[in-house]
This record gives sequence, C-alpha cells and structure tokens, in this order.
Amino acid sequence: MAHDSHDSHEYIPEIAVDRNGKEHVVQGWQGDFEGAKLGFWLFMLTEVLMFGAMFMTLSYYFTLHHAEFIKASSELDRVLGGVNTVVLLISALTMGLGLLKMRSGDVKGAKLMIWATILLALIFLGVKALEWSNDYKEGIFLGLSTMQAGGGKSFGELLFFGMYFTMTGLHGFHIIIGIGLMLWLLKRINSGKVSPEHHILHFNIALYWDLVHLIWVFVFPYFYMTGAGGAIHG
Amino acid sequence: MANHTTVDYNAEKGSYYKVLFGLLALTALTFIQPSMFLTDMTFGVQLLIGAVKAWIILMYYMHLKGETLIGWTVVFAVFITAFFFGIVMIDVNNFQFADVSHITSPAQ
Amino acid sequence: MSKSYFDETHCAFGHPKSTFMQWMLTIDHKRIGIMYAVVMFTFFFVAVAAALTMRFELYAPGQQFIEAHVFNQAFTLHGVIMIFLFIIPGIPAVFGNIVMPLMIGAKDVSFPRLNWFTFWLYILGCIIALSSLFNFNIADGKLVFNFADTGWTFYAPYSLNTDTNVVTTLVAAFILGMASILTGLNFLVTIHRLRAPGMDFFKMPLFVWGIYATAWIQLLATPVVGITLVLALLEKYFGIGIFDPAKGGDPVLFQHLFWIYSHPAVYLMILPAFGIMSEIIPAFSRREIFGYRTIALSSASIAGIGYLVWGHHLFTSGMSDVAKTIFSFLTFFVAIPTGIKFYDWIATMYKGKIVLATPMLWALGTIITFAIGGLSGVTIAMIGSDIHLQDTYYTIAHFHYAMLGGVVFLFFAGIHYWFPLVFGKMYNETKAKAAFYILFVGFNLLWFPMFIAGYLGMPRRYFDYLPEFQIYHQISFWGAIIFVIGLVFMFYTLIQGIRKGKPSGVNPWNATTLEWHLPSSPPPLENHTKVPYVDFRPYEYHHGQPVVKFDENMKRID
Repeated sequence: MAHDSHDSHEYIPEIAVDRNGKEHVVQGWQGDFEGAKLGFWLFMLTEVLMFGAMFMTLSYYFTLHHAEFIKASSELDRVLGGVNTVVLLISALTMGLGLLKMRSGDVKGAKLMIWATILLALIFLGVKALEWSNDYKEGIFLGLSTMQAGGGKSFGELLFFGMYFTMTGLHGFHIIIGIGLMLWLLKRINSGKVSPEHHILHFNIALYWDLVHLIWVFVFPYFYMTGAGGAIHG
Repeated sequence: MANHTTVDYNAEKGSYYKVLFGLLALTALTFIQPSMFLTDMTFGVQLLIGAVKAWIILMYYMHLKGETLIGWTVVFAVFITAFFFGIVMIDVNNFQFADVSHITSPAQ
Repeated sequence: MSKSYFDETHCAFGHPKSTFMQWMLTIDHKRIGIMYAVVMFTFFFVAVAAALTMRFELYAPGQQFIEAHVFNQAFTLHGVIMIFLFIIPGIPAVFGNIVMPLMIGAKDVSFPRLNWFTFWLYILGCIIALSSLFNFNIADGKLVFNFADTGWTFYAPYSLNTDTNVVTTLVAAFILGMASILTGLNFLVTIHRLRAPGMDFFKMPLFVWGIYATAWIQLLATPVVGITLVLALLEKYFGIGIFDPAKGGDPVLFQHLFWIYSHPAVYLMILPAFGIMSEIIPAFSRREIFGYRTIALSSASIAGIGYLVWGHHLFTSGMSDVAKTIFSFLTFFVAIPTGIKFYDWIATMYKGKIVLATPMLWALGTIITFAIGGLSGVTIAMIGSDIHLQDTYYTIAHFHYAMLGGVVFLFFAGIHYWFPLVFGKMYNETKAKAAFYILFVGFNLLWFPMFIAGYLGMPRRYFDYLPEFQIYHQISFWGAIIFVIGLVFMFYTLIQGIRKGKPSGVNPWNATTLEWHLPSSPPPLENHTKVPYVDFRPYEYHHGQPVVKFDENMKRID
C-alpha cells in the first residue's frame, strides 16, 4: 500500500538478532507484495468455492435430468456465447499486456490497455444483454408464465434455465465489479498511488480479471456446448 | 518490493500472444468438437478442454508457475470442491427412493 | 515507558482529535478486538434474554407468556444472534485480533485497514440482522413482530414461503459471512507472512495453530453458505426453481449446501477455543505441553475432516444409505484428533505444579463439560441412534454442552486469562472463581435434564409439551436462572476489575508465550519494542519457572 510521506504508520525497517549475532530482516505489514498477493489468491479461492457450489447444484440436476438439460442447452444461442468467449479471451490478453507495460515502466501504455479491457468488458455485457433479451422474446426468462411450474416446460428445462440465469447473471455481476475495479485502478494510477514500483493493485486486479475469465471458461461449455451437435446422450 | 524490478515488455509479450493463440485454438476446438469427433461424449470432452484452458490461464496469465504456497492452497481448495461434488454424486446415484420421489419422476 | 494503545492509535484515514473517533477509525488490532468483544457480548445478552423467555414459556405445558409463533421467532432470534453475531466471529475476532499478532511478534495483522473495514462490515451485518426486530405492526391491538420464524437454519421450502421478514436475516447472514471470510483471510496472510524471524510453524503457540486452522475453515467453507443464501434469495424473489419442488427443485439440496458450511462452522468455533485451552493448561501446570506436534496437527486434521462430515445433519432428511454410511464413518473420525488433544492436556497436567487460578478453573470445567458434549456427539453420529434422537432435546443438549460448555466456557477462560494483558489490571480472583462455580452448577442443571427429556422423546423447537416432561423443563428453568445470575456476576466482577482492579504487571501468570513479554501492560501501540528472534519452543518451563527471558530490547538473557 502506498502512503503519503507524512503518514503516521510508515514502515521502519527492523532487524532481529539471534544468539549467534546473525541478523534477520523482520517482515512488516507495510508494502508486503507477497502478502498482498497471497491475500488476493485466498480471496479468489472463496470465489472458486462460490461458483463451485453452483456448479455442484448444476451437476446434481444434470444427473437427474440428463436429456432435458441437453434439450434446454441446445436452445441457447451458441454464436453469441462464442463471441463472448472470444471477447473475454482477448480482454484477458489486454489486461495481461497492461500489467506487463506497467511493470516495464510504460504507465501510459498500461492505462491504454486498461481502457481497452474496459471496452471489451462493456462489449461482453452488451452481447449478454442482447442474448438475454432474445431469450425473453422466446419466453425464456425468470418470472415469465412459461417459466412457472406447469407452464409447459419440464423440470430439467426449468432448472437448467434457472441456473443459467443465476450463473451468467452472477458472472455478469463480477464483470461489472471488474469494470468498477479497473476505473478505480485508473484513478489510482493517475494520482500516482499505483506506479511501476508499487503495482500490487494492478497485479491483483489483473488476477481478478483472469479469474472472471476462468469462471467463464467453465460456464460456457457447461451451458452452451452441452447440447451442441444434437447429441442426446451427451 | 522484491523481484519486481522492471521487465522488458518486448521480451515478454511474446509469451502472452502464444497463450492467446493456444486459447483461441482450444476455443475453436470446442466449437468443432460436437459435430466432428467423440460426439457421444460431448459433455466430458467439453469440460476436458475447459480444464486445459483453465490450466493454461492459471499457469501463464495468473503466474501460478513457481508459486509453491499459493499453488498448494489452490490444490487444497479444488480438492475440497471436488469432494463436495463426489459425495453429492454418490448420494444422487444411490438414492433408494428415486422411483417414488416427486422431483425425480416428474408427473408432467 | 511507552504509551499504551489506550492512549495512541493509528487510524484508517485522517487524524481525528476526539477519542471516540479515534476508536471508530482505529486500525490497531487490539482496539478492534476490544470493540468486537463489546459488541458481541452486548448481543450475547440479547440472545440470552431470548432464551430465557423461552425457558419461562416452557416452565409449564400450554401457553404462558408468549404465543406459539412468537416462540418460533424467539428461537430464531436466539439462534441467529448466537451463531452469526456471537460465536462465529467469536474467539477469532476477539482474541485472534488481540492476541494472535502479539503471539507471533507482529506489529499488527497483515491488512490492518481491511481489518477495520471487516469490523464495520460486521456491524452492518448486525444492524441488518436486527433491523427486522423493529419491523412490527399492530393488529387487533396486539404487537405483531415480523422477525424471521424459520430457525437459524433457514431451511427451504419454509423460508421461501414464510411471510415474515426472512430477507433481512438472509442478507445479514451473507454480510456477516463476508466479514468472517475477510477475518480468516487476514489471519492466514498474517500467520504466513508476519511471524517473527526464526519462528517456524512448529514454534508457534498452539492458539495460533487453532486460529490458523479456523481461518482455513472461514475462508473455504463460508463462501458455500454465502452462495446458498444468495440462491435462496434468488429463489424467493425470482423463482429460479432449484429449491422449489414444484419446479423440480430439491429442498434437501439446500440442506446439503447449508451444512457444507455450517458443520465446518462448529469446528470454526471450537478450534480457537481448543487453542485457548492449550495456552492455559501449560501455563498453569508450569509444564511444557505434552505432545505439541500432535495438538497442532490435530487442529489441522479436525479442520480437514470437519469439511467432510456435513451429511450427518441430514440422516433423517432423505439421503441415500450409501452416503449416510460414509458420513457416519467420517464423523467418527473427528473424535480421534479431539481425543488426542484431551489426552495431551491431561498428560500435560500430570506431575505439573497446578495453579488453580480462575482461567485454569474454567479450563478444567470445560474438560468435563466438553467431554460430555463431545461423547454425546459420537452417540448421535451413529445412524440408528440418530434417527431416534435427531430433532430432540438430546441433540440440543449435545450442541449446548459442546458450544456453550466448550466454546463459550473456553472463551470465558480466555477472557480471564488475557484480561490482565488487555487492561493491565487484575479482577478479584475470589469473586471470579465464585462466578465460575455458579455458572458451572447452573450450566449442568440447565442442560443435563435435556439429555433425558430428549431421550424420552421431547422434540426440540416445540412451544408445548406433554405433562410428563414438565419436571425436566422445570429443572432446566432453575438451572437457567442460576446460570444467568452467574453470568451477570461474572461480568460484574470483570467490569469492576477494569474500573478498580490492581495493576497486574506484564506477566502475572508466569506464562511463556510472546504476548507476555511486552514492554508494558496494556501493550504499547506497536506491540513489542523490538521483534525477538524466536529459537525456542512456546512453552519451555524448568522446575516450574519459564526458561526464556528477555531484556528490554527483546534479546534473550537466560
């Protein structure tokens, strides 16, 4: 964490001396890059567990209603889903290159790359919105009468679409949070709090973005590709 | 801040593009697979491709390569999740009242 | 002498002049711990009041004071506060914050600002949780509360159908869960990064091991309940169908997801408590702890196995016989590391110079109560007997013997043990010991009859009962009265200690761990004057005296 110079809790380097007179550097909590990285990874594990629990729910119902899940999956728009996959893939690249630029001292280039990532994230959300509105027109949306019990859909389809909206929705929510984080990062870069020497925030937000991508890597095949190719026995 | 001396952008960006290319190729694979090969096990193949992609992202984009402590924490978390999966799957597959349960034999 | 943390602080931002704002914005781990303690014990008494209300109601069969649905709200209130507001943040939030950094020779936790934020997240959660208490209306001249009536477990489908205000409670539980995750994350990084030079994992005090194991549970189990609550909310308001049988959803799945967290959560509560026990036993036996490594590793293995046993809550809910057998088997396994700990503690006391100070009394009392709680747990881990005893007072008695007689008793032990460290003063030992005896008697009188009532078939959460159970309820009632008197007396003694206690000095118990080697008591703002080099084990005694001594610059002089 970067501080202004007159901040009262600055780190004063300290040495502990053992009985043989050997000196050992004491790690302080201030400016601990490895600690901050470890902390953020631990946070990401909680995200993994969250989505893991949802995937477990999904697998549970997939086991119960195999054929119906495949039927429901084949109704999703694979083209839009595929476009979003590629968009997110490229955004992971721009994010990574931005971090690389930051570390190599090119702050301006880094900012450009973050803006590019934000743009791609917005495209992702736009495509998602288009997709959801298409679903809505086809009578697939939470709360519609066609999505109620006895509304003409089987258990498997209802559960599939219920989880589809939940998981893509929560994933989209993570994208929105990511955009917010990137805007905050830009602000911190502009005020000089994130710099090539103190880039832990940039590092961690890049990790976050990769995690969001990682989740999509599993969300996409599970929902969109399960019913591809017309296979009924998956 | 240890180990974060300046890096050479042009020397390192190559690996990022290589990873991108690999991921794009795997994505293309997900699209052609259902109509090309192993069509009777689409789901398994898709998840396998997903796992490979995830592995690449973790190792190269998320710099997990060489991180012993963090690597093991990830393994631990994934193991726990896998255990939850395993038990619930065992439970579903062995549920002795599946034939009479309302939710498993829909009266639609 | 340096100023103590009561005089100075670091703030999250700004440099406020007023003492009040300095406390509100503090990032000092000791102050945050104290604030947690104050808030938690305030809510603790609210929950005790709810429980006492139920005891009054149950004094005789039929309706006495409150109506049936209010009774449901009372046990929900009791459960929600005790579990989410009190015992889950519990020992980690208080002693993990105050003592753990001192024990490893750190200046603070790894992310002090996050710690501050977490505290306020916790407060926000508390406010939301209790906000629906004030959501009432008057119908037919009577006060109608809209507090949730689902029990603290929020089982679907009832929680999805009830008209009461279950949404705020769900949101609050989610926020409190996040606070818990962030606390665990902070402690994990702290323990990994900020240990004093030379202190490897097997030189850490055992309380730190307890906190470490706990933090892993907080981190990796809480997200599951978090997402479960989110799914329940989505189900309630958007109808996603996964818990709704009409759409093919499985309400038992909710129970699975809920207990995947909530069973590890009980180990999250007990492990730091065991850590306190492992501190107190060697300090008051004046002996190095027996089997240090086995205690440390048993903490880790309890945490590990604890993840894998959630299904024993579902033996009567509709699970396959195969899964039941697996879960029953795994549940027995938890008893092994727990047993190892108990034998290690007893072996530590053997041939020790036992000092029966108040913390030691609490620890010894807990050995009895927790043994009953733990062993009764093994009896209901058996599928056959569980079918009989599930949802009866037997399970209630088991739970409270383990949680109140285990976790909370050790929490009290910890309060009496670290009281001089935090306040630099000593409470009146005679009164504190008297309070222990009152509480111990009251506790057993309150809960033991429930084992019998439950075995005979008294179901839990019932507002009414058959006349033959009255005798057990009445004994419990008088036990509860004694228990509450003991509680009030204990807190009175402690508060008198804060106000008028004699100065205690930095190491009144002759303990060995690093938190007793501070330059002053209460400790100064950034803890130890210098960080020591740790090349010694945490509990080294020789002929009843601590081996390791430091000079004022934390250099060893023994």
